[in-house]
Amino acid sequence: MSSIPHDHAAGHGHDEHAHHPSGIMRWITTTNHKDIGTLYLWFSFIMFLAGGTLALTIRSELFHPGMQLVDPEFFNSLTTLHGLIMIFGAIMPAAVGFANWQVPMMIGAPDMAFARLNNWSFWLLPFAAALLISSFFVPGGAAAGGWTLYAPLSVQAGMGMDMTIFAIHIMGASSIMGSINIITTILNLRAPGMTLMKMPLFVWTWLITAYLLIAVMPVLAGTVTMLLTDRHFGTSFFNAAGGGDPVMFQHIFWFFGHPEVYIMILPAFGIVSTILPTFSRKPLFGYASMVYATASIAILSFLVWAHHMFTVGMPAAGQLFFMYMTMLIAVPTGVKVFNWLATMWKGSMTFETPMLFAIGFIFLFTMGGFTGLVLAITPVDIQLQDTYYVVAHFHYVLVAGSLFAFFGGIYYWLPKWSGKMYDEKLGKIHFWASMITFNVTFFPMHFLGLAGMPRRVADYPAQFTDWNEVATIGAFGFGLSQILFLYIVLKALRFGAPAPARPWEGADTLEWTVPSPAPYHTFETPPAVS
Amino acid sequence: MPVSKPDDQRNAQRGANLRTALILLSIAAVFFGGIIASQYTGGNAVGIGVLGFAIIGFLLVTIGRKLRGDPSKTERR
Repeated sequence: MSSIPHDHAAGHGHDEHAHHPSGIMRWITTTNHKDIGTLYLWFSFIMFLAGGTLALTIRSELFHPGMQLVDPEFFNSLTTLHGLIMIFGAIMPAAVGFANWQVPMMIGAPDMAFARLNNWSFWLLPFAAALLISSFFVPGGAAAGGWTLYAPLSVQAGMGMDMTIFAIHIMGASSIMGSINIITTILNLRAPGMTLMKMPLFVWTWLITAYLLIAVMPVLAGTVTMLLTDRHFGTSFFNAAGGGDPVMFQHIFWFFGHPEVYIMILPAFGIVSTILPTFSRKPLFGYASMVYATASIAILSFLVWAHHMFTVGMPAAGQLFFMYMTMLIAVPTGVKVFNWLATMWKGSMTFETPMLFAIGFIFLFTMGGFTGLVLAITPVDIQLQDTYYVVAHFHYVLVAGSLFAFFGGIYYWLPKWSGKMYDEKLGKIHFWASMITFNVTFFPMHFLGLAGMPRRVADYPAQFTDWNEVATIGAFGFGLSQILFLYIVLKALRFGAPAPARPWEGADTLEWTVPSPAPYHTFETPPAVS
Repeated sequence: MPVSKPDDQRNAQRGANLRTALILLSIAAVFFGGIIASQYTGGNAVGIGVLGFAIIGFLLVTIGRKLRGDPSKTERR
């Protein structure tokens, strides 16, 4: 999938540059942003399959009431690790993979500012993932308190929790190093003439995302450090018996956790903002307002964290504040949605696979946003907190949101990365299969939540059976659709038709000015941007 | 072969990159140390409020410096 290490603009040569190692050492020691992007993307897909396997095990157990396959403690580990793997192993590394491939090319930079740091940022991740997954096999099993690791349960848990804490430290370090790299690259290495307000929106969304990462990943690191010291070094940050406050853990965790969800969605916004103008053959509507809306979302994301905590016993004034702030954050998000629609309005549209995923994203992410608004209303949230309504909401925004946008981005940029075109017919089948099975899986969860089914339960009363059966069938269909995606990518890499430099007529960013596949080194001489 | 910049241009670029990275690292350090220190120093809301204003302050300073220093800042798409 990555370009051949070759300085010349050749698409199909198999010569390797004299200075670059070959084979496995190429991948271990690479400092090339394209290679590192490829590593991130393949790593994220492997983790996506791992997290998906855990999800299908969960759905298998929940197909019928009663315990059929796993015991309740292991079920809790499944839900915990599913969340941790998908968030920290799949979505976030995929976003960084897109950033590595695209940001330098889109701003006309030769590479990232700190190329060796870039390598270290990636290679920390497989080690952290191994630590996380191997926690299943230690005495006591993997962490089982939910991916949010709430105290006091997490203070009492076994060795698996310590491994989870270390894995989170390592992944946090990777994210912080990566963000420093991305911000420095964007601020200092833009081509002459590429002002901030001329950058592609994908670069803007990653600039803002990187600032969010730098601010909140250390907060998570501090939180789990305090959890570690409570567990082993006699402190009582979150231990009520020692004078600490378990609810404080929730405050600090969600101070990280809410910006974290915007960290996962903003790069997806950037990808959609790139795909829509291309296939509408119109410039993005309201570029400046899109930049300001993204920045507003990022700043407001620091002010809404306690909407995850409406049931902890907060004073009404506090609940009102967070309710109003949460509703307020819907305003800049709505600006973005309207701008996307306005971009398409009276455009000369074609519906290739990337465009299908982008439009699917708009429709389904908006639905997820609406359920988020429902949950923002405190008295409603007090009923729906910790029910399947919440599960439906965040899967709509993260799966139909982030994941669909990432699929669109892969289809959009695969010709540039690999020099090969994917099979358009199969791509469309993948889209429709994912779209239908996703909705079959997660739409019924709204009904389950409204009917009162709690989340993170291994068993449920019989009245919830029907919709759980539907959701499980949909989940297996969704999983199969992703195997199709893997086949589509591998088929393209092996047998795909040669891709031109600009396979999409309406594409106008800098990466389309270089050949396909992109040469190993691009923009060694900065382009002149008018 | 990659085109090489003059050494002084490369050193200036490297220096600028390091300065930017150090500022960003200091944001991370403030948040890491701050969230732990806030547990010792007083009200929880105070701690979180200080951190929140710190990040907004950093953002304003950094973006403001960049906009002031950008010679083509009046250009618009």
